[in-house]
Amino acid sequence: MGRVVKAPVTLNGYQVTLRDIVREDLEMIRRWRNDPATSQYMLSQDAISPGQQQAWFEHIQWDPGQRHWLILYRDKPIGVANIRVFDEGETLERPTRVEPALYIADLRYRGNILAFAPTLVVNDYCFEQLGARELQATVKVSNEAALRYNEKLGYREIERQGDLVRIALSPRDYEASAAPIKAFLSRAGRR
Amino acid sequence: MSSNQQILVEGFSTALAIPQEQVTDDLAYNSIPQWDSIAHMTLVAELESRFDVMMDTDDIIDMSSVARARDILGKYGVTFD
Repeated sequence: MGRVVKAPVTLNGYQVTLRDIVREDLEMIRRWRNDPATSQYMLSQDAISPGQQQAWFEHIQWDPGQRHWLILYRDKPIGVANIRVFDEGETLERPTRVEPALYIADLRYRGNILAFAPTLVVNDYCFEQLGARELQATVKVSNEAALRYNEKLGYREIERQGDLVRIALSPRDYEASAAPIKAFLSRAGRR
Repeated sequence: MSSNQQILVEGFSTALAIPQEQVTDDLAYNSIPQWDSIAHMTLVAELESRFDVMMDTDDIIDMSSVARARDILGKYGVTFD
């Protein structure tokens, strides 16, 4: 069939580790995703069945246009992050625009400054290693916390349609905005 | 209240733009709209400036309430009567 499973990519930084999702993670992730506390912020609130979760996992193993990670803090899973190419026909080998997304399932850290950590790791990876020229995201207008969070990272609004707003981030805006956040998350630890 | 307790209350009040009366021990991170992840960075900077300390990242992340802030500042030599 010619489909090649992608090589794993593990990212470390700002107190968190992001590692590729494996089969053993699937049920936990499916529970997280179906929890109304998480799904209310997603573009789709449809519940995901075990079969759908499995099919999704089989697909992302080889799809060169997306990658999904489990976020770990102090070796414990706290959420999920992913990236996908924005432009049809491109792959993560050399993307022009990338669409990152994440959710923090562990309520102790949702809205915590720690929630910036996986975003910083992913954004650094997209700009510095993948060479992306821009990051884009779609957020619900009602998700004020996400809009504020992304504004803090340097995102600017580029389009609004109905209850959705599209935002974009350039490397320059990211570098300027992220510096103070990185400083907070990069201090020496006691552990 | 001891002077350090008053400084703590004033620090929270200023950083979060809330009345001092609202700064009680059980005031917790994300329990009010004013204390979100962004305001948290302002709060940390305010407390560090007032108490002349520099917290490490673990403590910044763990500073989840006023009571916890007092405990954490204690680790940096700040005493509260």
